[in-house]
Amino acid sequence: MARLRRQDPRSDEALVAACNGGDAAEAAGAFETLYGRHKDYVLRVALRYVSDTDTALDVLQETFTYLLRRFPPTGEGIELTAKLTTLLYPIAKNTAITMLRKSGRFPTAEDVGPDDLPGPDDVDTGDIRGVLASLPEGQREVLQLRFMDDLSLQEIAEVLMVPLGTVKSRLHTGIARLKSSDFAKRLKDE
Amino acid sequence: MPDQDTDNEQLPEGLLRALKAVDAAPPVITATIDRTLADMAVGHFGTRRATWKRHGGWALAASVALVAVLAVQLIGPPSGVADVPYADLNRSGRIDIADVLALARAERPGVTQADLDAFAMRVVSLDAGGVR
Repeated sequence: MARLRRQDPRSDEALVAACNGGDAAEAAGAFETLYGRHKDYVLRVALRYVSDTDTALDVLQETFTYLLRRFPPTGEGIELTAKLTTLLYPIAKNTAITMLRKSGRFPTAEDVGPDDLPGPDDVDTGDIRGVLASLPEGQREVLQLRFMDDLSLQEIAEVLMVPLGTVKSRLHTGIARLKSSDFAKRLKDE
Repeated sequence: MPDQDTDNEQLPEGLLRALKAVDAAPPVITATIDRTLADMAVGHFGTRRATWKRHGGWALAASVALVAVLAVQLIGPPSGVADVPYADLNRSGRIDIADVLALARAERPGVTQADLDAFAMRVVSLDAGGVR
């Protein structure tokens, strides 16, 4: 059943419309299809913030529960003006950060921005994960959204709710740091 | 500050491949989680349907009232009309078909179906006359 729903030819927009206004069975089926399509993406986003699988799976469930509540009768419904992933990303990210804050593993100061958060010092920059971890969160996030999630710069700006110029700046700096990493040098030598 | 060319700023192929491989194999999402979300969706949208059903019930009652109004208009007004409270019973700010339904719900002693029909007819007459 789930596999069949995954192959549902309808666009995300059509499925969201069914969730907004379809009858009970149609809406539930449409939501299940959306979940099947995007659950892996949400889990990947969660794992960028939380390290253990159990918490990431909690983030997954919370994210889709939140999405579900946005649809009637509890919510107003969703008007999809961009890719659904641009809506799911901030939900998953904020859910993950909330969970980290509850466990005391994320800064709680409201005035700490993504560029103020340096990566840890004790990472192995000879490994791509280590290079990413060494970057300030703002740069890491833009690199992930651009090259791992294939979002356009405009979409990234919308997802992160920052000006396009900020996205470009973070991307530029992030790329420069990636290229100058030990990992990149080693790749070049091989 | 980078300029517009940053839009096309790309990574060397090796770095790009390495980045994409970082989260290429997320953990397996168990069937239990899938089922839980699916059940939640059924419950959520089932609630919405129940709400619609409730509204649907009111719509049915309104339809019955309107049919009664039409019948009364064809047959003529019943006697005893003066005893029926033509009032804004639901305090909506206007006297309309919802007040007829409110009166029907209240099951006030002495108010008959004919009275309700008369109330409904009067409401329609008021609407037709543009009076609120």
